[in-house]
Amino acid sequence: MRLNVSLIIGAILTFCAISIAVVSTFWLPYNPNLPNIPNRLLAAGSAEHWLGTDVLGRDIISQLMVGARTSIVVGAGGATISLVLGAIMGLIAAASGKIVDETISRVADIMLSIPGMVTALVLAATLGSGALTTIFALTAFFTPSFTRVARSAALSVLQEDFITAAQLYGRGRMPRVARHVFPNIAGVLIVQFTLYFAAGILTEAGLSYLGVGVTRPGISWGLMLSEAQNQVGVSSPLAMWPGLSIVIVVLGLNLMGDGLRDVLDPKLSKSIL
Amino acid sequence: MTGILELRGVSQAYRLGRRSPFVTASYLQVLSNVDFAVRTGQAVGLVGESGAGKTTMTRILTGLERPQTGQVLFDGKDLWEMNAVERLEFRRNLGVVMQNPRSSLDPRMPVGSSLLEPLRSLGIDCDHVARVNEVIEQVGMASSVLGRYPHEFSGGQLQRIAIARALMTRPIVLIADEPVSALDVSIQAQVLNLLMDLVTDLNLALMLVAHDLSVVAYATSRVSVLAAGEIVETGQPLELFSRPKSKATQDLVAAVLTMEAGLAGRGLD
Ligand SMILES: Nc1ncnc2c1ncn2[C@@H]1O[C@H](COP(=O)(O)OP(=O)(O)OP(=O)(O)O)[C@@H](O)[C@H]1O
Ligand SMILES: [Mg+2]
Repeated sequence: MRLNVSLIIGAILTFCAISIAVVSTFWLPYNPNLPNIPNRLLAAGSAEHWLGTDVLGRDIISQLMVGARTSIVVGAGGATISLVLGAIMGLIAAASGKIVDETISRVADIMLSIPGMVTALVLAATLGSGALTTIFALTAFFTPSFTRVARSAALSVLQEDFITAAQLYGRGRMPRVARHVFPNIAGVLIVQFTLYFAAGILTEAGLSYLGVGVTRPGISWGLMLSEAQNQVGVSSPLAMWPGLSIVIVVLGLNLMGDGLRDVLDPKLSKSIL
Repeated sequence: MTGILELRGVSQAYRLGRRSPFVTASYLQVLSNVDFAVRTGQAVGLVGESGAGKTTMTRILTGLERPQTGQVLFDGKDLWEMNAVERLEFRRNLGVVMQNPRSSLDPRMPVGSSLLEPLRSLGIDCDHVARVNEVIEQVGMASSVLGRYPHEFSGGQLQRIAIARALMTRPIVLIADEPVSALDVSIQAQVLNLLMDLVTDLNLALMLVAHDLSVVAYATSRVSVLAAGEIVETGQPLELFSRPKSKATQDLVAAVLTMEAGLAGRGLD
């Protein structure tokens, strides 16, 4: 039996990130927004502030913990909504006639041709920036991709003889999709989900870094990076901690996606662990 | 000479994609005025080269496609004028086996569930578990395979399972479109023997489609030759082999003989 190393490492990293985000909802070492000027720019390793403090003396660990929550809520939120909408649209497109399919596919093409940054800026300008707006922006970027993936995967399943067989023993179109098509594309969608979860975290960090994502009193790793940028040279670890956090979580999700790709393939499923 | 399932004067044409809006659409005539019948307790064969229209014929016989002209009759009733009850009755009485056994079973379902599907879908009122066990044994497999997934089986085993699924609802007609052409030569005879036994044991009407004349000659008592959408010849297999009348039949016989000569030649060196 083969050990799926990527899946295990990826799952551990992801689990840690999620646990930290959960803990942050009920316990934090310090108030991450409370300035403490006498303690400003403490180096990592101080007894009270293990990873030090920022330019206003705010605790880094506390900020990273809240940042993890933001990343996960926004990344998972955007990826989940897109997954659900995209799977529904993709399945409808694949299983319906030409007109519905063409309409859905062309709308997806148009949405994909709008640069994500434009969508994000327009949404931030109209709705105000914040985590929820970022989730909407992610949904707008990701839903058309999920739709395409779900549609093409569903089309290839619909070609299979077991679909014709089901039609012959009297299963209607929607029951065929529910019983046979959906279970067969679920694996592809789950893999896609983990990859977009990671992409969502990166996008959120990027938007917050540019000031159109999460702003104080919200905290995000991207926001921490942008605040640290003003301090680079004075205290470069300030940029390192959120940067490292992003890398670790994104890496974890991508490893998990790669691992799941193997595990969810029924032909390879003997080698889960 | 009426059969349980029949085609009468069936023609089918497909519209070909237009390359330009200024050109009128052209049509590909796939079947022309085909008469064909499957009878209870009898195995009939349909042979023809690739593209002759064999699969199209089975799609029309099974009600997947509606022919442009002509009738499909099940037990004397037109398939396309049936009410819901008659259509359900038709579905229950029809079993279909397809060419590619890997593609004909859902890889996400244990084979036992795949076998239950026709019973559930068509609302068959019986002890489902007992029926699954009975049928899996009928196709020569142990009931211990029921919890396993399709990827755990060989092509020949999968084709037996696909045949089992086709038999679940106790159909009176079985249509098999190239059921052995994806299988190893050594397995082909086993699967054909199974089909022949089922015809006798269950008094089935079997339609066996193949591009290889020797396959239908082995397993059926009457063979129709389809060429370019027309039935050009019908007769007993030996008759067709010894006195092929049409060019198409001569080609099919030649193909079998060439292959046998090739095998014999290889045996010599
Ligand atoms: N939906 C369709 N639209 C257009 N042309 C089609 C369609 N289905 C089949 N054809 C054409 O009809 C002809 C007959 O096809 P069919 O699949 O019935 O042949 P066949 O005898 O089963 O061949 P094979 O031995 O390769 O399975 C072929 O030329 C095929 O390209
Ligand atoms: Mg065919």
